[in-house]
Amino acid sequence: MPTSKPERLCRCAGPNPALAITTRPERKSGSVRDPRYDALAELVLDHSLRLQAGQVLRIEGEAAAAPLVVPLHREAIKRGAHAYAVLDLAGLKELLVAYGSDEQLDFVSPMELREIEAIDASITIWSESNTRSFSRAESARRQRQLTAQRQFGIRRRDRIASGEHRWCGTLSPTEGHAQDADMSLEEYEDFVFRACHVLDDDPVAHWRQVGERLQARADELSSVRELRIVGEDTELTVVVDGRTWRAAHGRQNVPDGEVYTSPVETGINGTIRFGFPAVYGGREINDARLVLENGRVIAAEAAGGQEYLRSLLELDEGASGVGEIAFGLNYEIDRFTRNILFDEKIGGTMHLALGMGFEVLGGLNRSALHLDLICDLRREGEVYADGELIWRSGQFLEDPQPARPAERVG
Amino acid sequence: MADVLVGFCAGVREGDLVTLESSTLAAPLLRELYRRVLEAGAQPLSRITLEPLTENLLKLGNDEQLAWVNPVRVDDVESVDVRIALEAPANTKRLSNVDPARQARYDRSAEPLRNRYLERAAAGELRWVLSAYPTEAAAQDAAMSLAEYEDFVFGAAFLDDPDPVARWQEFGERLDRLAGFLATKREFRIVADGTDLRLVTEGRTWVPSKGRENFPDGEVFTGPVESSVEGEIRFTYPGVFNAREVDDVRLRFEAGEVVEATATRGQEFLREMIAMDDGARRVGEFAFGLNEAVPMFTRNTLFDEKIGGTMHLALGTAYPETGGLNRSALHWDLICDLRSGSEVYADGELVYRDGQFLSGSS
Repeated sequence: MPTSKPERLCRCAGPNPALAITTRPERKSGSVRDPRYDALAELVLDHSLRLQAGQVLRIEGEAAAAPLVVPLHREAIKRGAHAYAVLDLAGLKELLVAYGSDEQLDFVSPMELREIEAIDASITIWSESNTRSFSRAESARRQRQLTAQRQFGIRRRDRIASGEHRWCGTLSPTEGHAQDADMSLEEYEDFVFRACHVLDDDPVAHWRQVGERLQARADELSSVRELRIVGEDTELTVVVDGRTWRAAHGRQNVPDGEVYTSPVETGINGTIRFGFPAVYGGREINDARLVLENGRVIAAEAAGGQEYLRSLLELDEGASGVGEIAFGLNYEIDRFTRNILFDEKIGGTMHLALGMGFEVLGGLNRSALHLDLICDLRREGEVYADGELIWRSGQFLEDPQPARPAERVG
Repeated sequence: MADVLVGFCAGVREGDLVTLESSTLAAPLLRELYRRVLEAGAQPLSRITLEPLTENLLKLGNDEQLAWVNPVRVDDVESVDVRIALEAPANTKRLSNVDPARQARYDRSAEPLRNRYLERAAAGELRWVLSAYPTEAAAQDAAMSLAEYEDFVFGAAFLDDPDPVARWQEFGERLDRLAGFLATKREFRIVADGTDLRLVTEGRTWVPSKGRENFPDGEVFTGPVESSVEGEIRFTYPGVFNAREVDDVRLRFEAGEVVEATATRGQEFLREMIAMDDGARRVGEFAFGLNEAVPMFTRNTLFDEKIGGTMHLALGTAYPETGGLNRSALHWDLICDLRSGSEVYADGELVYRDGQFLSGSS
């Protein structure tokens, strides 16, 4: 099942779902109703997808996502849509990767390819009960299986771009995700729902306001020629001249909260240290430090996973180039949880992605990789835009001054 | 069990497209099946069901939504080579309070799809097997503990035998002989307490059901000549359909159609189902249950219709491979225990008494 973001490639392209069975059957059967799941479902349907009566909606995820699948399906039915769920079971893809022949690994379901053409909207729910189930899998075989599935994501991206399809990726809490975040499941649920703002009186209104604010910020950044990022072991200049910044405010990811663009491919120079671990393909890279020259990584070190990092940089031509630069602006997300859906939005951070850029924003870098690396700027970070200080200690200094409000792209 | 299902029942071959369908409760068996299908060189595709979703649709959907046929399901029916489905309910009575009229509308919308499915199966383009993974809900319906129910299921499937496939092959040969014998007969008369029913099977095919499409299995069935069913029948076991039970069902047939239907409980539901469409008041299947390892009623048709010493009639759609012509959104198996005080005559000759075929018939 394609789990990578169709339009923006980053967030969950790497650690693909291990399939999970729910650890809480009482939720699956819906007998213990947690109104926060209902609220998240309504937010996704009404704000992210703006689902209409008569539309066909596919809800995809692992069986462990049942606590969210059931209310999503119910609310979609109430809205007059034709909704159905395509669920995966923990452990099946692991068996495919472990025992499948090349032909079986390469198999692409013709039914699923046809299905993409017939659906108006889809929701991907990340919901793994074991986020490390592929850790011991042979990585070439895993890559082969992922490569075969990639065409689903590509076709879906095309349909989104042409306005035929709407998509949103979100998460339903599991013990596995909680464990990655060093939390109990209860704590993790609190964290997730806070980040999604589903406890607000009117979550849709909240995200609409976030959209307006972030759009103004994106408009302002779109007139900047060069950014300079200064932090601990970090001194990096990034040319963004002519590139469009986009606001991410709960349309394609819930939770959301960032502004991002693809920088000028040859215009990144200096050093950067990423304080948070990067998690990709179920493996961690700790304390990565990169030296970039004219947009290419010329030196890469990491305290943990250095070999893995270097192997990723050699994946293809574009893997050592930069595809994305972004500000994380969701201040309800205040800690690292080993899940890129949340980590890249941590309020007060910036991230840079090696690999695939965003064509729609003018990005030219192409790669099978999209590795998000997150730089914590909350303590002593500074960012200058064309020489002027605009950000210090995890905050923009001024409210955005929309320069060209007509140019909204979100 | 996975070995028998993939190898013996479904006969999975290299290159087959195989869907595996069940709820998450069957996860351990689904994983085994997935692996066996891979080992057979076929392509497994999981189809995981979630019970509350049907409930959402049946309770909240508008007419258009109830009538919607998911193109994804249509594509599966048209495309797959093998379908392995496991019953693994969390709650068999989940839909008990759904409005039967809404349920019927939903069932009718799925009818063309089921007909197409049975058509491909009859033509040999699609192999399928329906089996069961023991769950608490199913055990509860059978009035057993889960451990007892597991023993029952595995026993009924001969999985307690050192060589289950050999047992099924041997049993299958017996069923073949019986089907051959029944095929020589034109007309049947069933006589039991509250029952005196005649029907004609001439020109129709008796199918020995020996562990290919149902597992466990053990019946021979046909589709009777639609207009030939005459007389009355009293079903000893409750009729179980769409999460509802109907007790002590009595039907009277004239020229193949139900003209009177009574029940001590659930009579309204019975009548609504019979009125679902034209085919629902006619008989689509006539069969004998022959699996002696299924001795008792467990409120699950997969097992109940195979109880050794019973016969069943199904109201509604016929299996095309029998030559039966009846079509309906309904297929409701109603079961009659013949193990005491009953006789079956074929072309006037006594061939079956008290739950057993007489010697010479199989």
